[in-house]
Amino acid sequence: MKTKIKSILVAVLLIASFSSSAQMFSKKKSKKDTHNFRYEIECIGEGKQGTYAIKVFSYSKKPKVAIEAAKRNAVHGIIFKGISGGRCVNKPALARSANLEQEKADFFKDFFANGGKYSKFVVASTDGAIEAGDVTKVSKKEFKVGVNVSVNVSLLRKDLEAAGIIKGLGSRF
Amino acid sequence: MKKITLAIFIALFSFAALAQKAKKPTIMIVPSDVWCNQNGFMQEFNNQGTIVRIPDYKKAVQSDPTLLQVIAQINGMMGERGFPLKNLESALKTLEKQAADDNMRMSSKTGGSVSSSPTDELKKVAKADIWMQITYNVNKKGPKSSIQFTLQGLDAYTDKQVATATGNGEPSSGSTPELMQEAVLAHLDNFNSTLMSYFDDMFINGREVVVRVKVWDDWGEDLETEDYGDDELGISIEDWMSDLTVNGVFNLTDATENMMLFEQVRIPLFYVNSKGRERAYDVRRLGKDLRDKLKEIGLEAKAENEGLGQLTLWIGHK
Repeated sequence: MKTKIKSILVAVLLIASFSSSAQMFSKKKSKKDTHNFRYEIECIGEGKQGTYAIKVFSYSKKPKVAIEAAKRNAVHGIIFKGISGGRCVNKPALARSANLEQEKADFFKDFFANGGKYSKFVVASTDGAIEAGDVTKVSKKEFKVGVNVSVNVSLLRKDLEAAGIIKGLGSRF
Repeated sequence: MKKITLAIFIALFSFAALAQKAKKPTIMIVPSDVWCNQNGFMQEFNNQGTIVRIPDYKKAVQSDPTLLQVIAQINGMMGERGFPLKNLESALKTLEKQAADDNMRMSSKTGGSVSSSPTDELKKVAKADIWMQITYNVNKKGPKSSIQFTLQGLDAYTDKQVATATGNGEPSSGSTPELMQEAVLAHLDNFNSTLMSYFDDMFINGREVVVRVKVWDDWGEDLETEDYGDDELGISIEDWMSDLTVNGVFNLTDATENMMLFEQVRIPLFYVNSKGRERAYDVRRLGKDLRDKLKEIGLEAKAENEGLGQLTLWIGHK
């Protein structure tokens, strides 16, 4: 009887440790997917004053992870890439130097960290309600997911200017 | 230890307080000549037999409430971006108030009035370093209207277009200022981005200005004289311009014995004064530097600047 209980305990312990390491691996993978900034952005309409309404297509092995990454990618795209294509006028990137991300690496590491400041500027998104046709399986193991996001660019610009990351129109005079 | 920390703090604070900023260009939104012409806001005057038509801004801002609202909308949007603009209506009012004040002003001790030359009178107009010229048309289709607009940023001295935005708004049942706001808002980031590039270029290559050199007709000499310095006066002036500009960049567009026109002159934004402090440099300071150089070879000159970008120098006397 004692041997039987022992074997059950060992089995339970083994299952628990396996599940925990699988979770850790999944988290790592999700972090990797959300931090590699592989995405496409298109404008879906002129937002209200100071905001951009955009659709962000992110890539991941899990659609849920791609949805998480969309907010981060939206802010990243507005800062470093600008928006071209879609239903509105092209928007220039907030960064005026192509090397800004490397030059201010420490700032952006914290800014785009999980729960980082970037999330403050994403004012709305279609988290749970992805439009039909916005989830595409691009390969055997990868999904491309489109999420509608609205970013408060005015606030984002002011915040980056105040932190000395980008220069304001009249800041040098 | 505390004393050292305090000393460092005071040194840093005073350095920050003394740090000089470049002179800020003023920007003003005005309706374009085309808009004024289309809407009947032009005035005519006879300039020695030639009829000249110029925009009547005062009449436009006093008669067209929509224009005022449009200007206010764009002023607000630029203010929100950290670059408040000079307001046309207020600038016109200040000019009138100032003129009335000058006319009535009388010294309590001598009874003298305010001195003003014909040139001073000519200069009493609304001024800005960069004009934001707006043209817009409202197209009505049933209950909905759409707007077409062009916004041009023009350097007042070099006549260069430094920023632009042009586009159409979506048809909507909103008022003209609302339509304008929607349409301009969509393009304002691009407009500001090109304006920012203009400022970036200014900080790297210097402010672009125009310099005119003329001679008084009663001086008795001209720019080809070799009585001053080792070379012709005009050539010496060119050498000085090269010394006073960023990387010696300027373009001598026109030169005769009586005048020289320098364009694309790149002047630095800062200089170090005699006390070793950094100060903002402008065309007025360039005029002073050129007059000092002339003084060294025994010549007097008068220098007059217009805003941040234009300098005229008259050689012979003040």
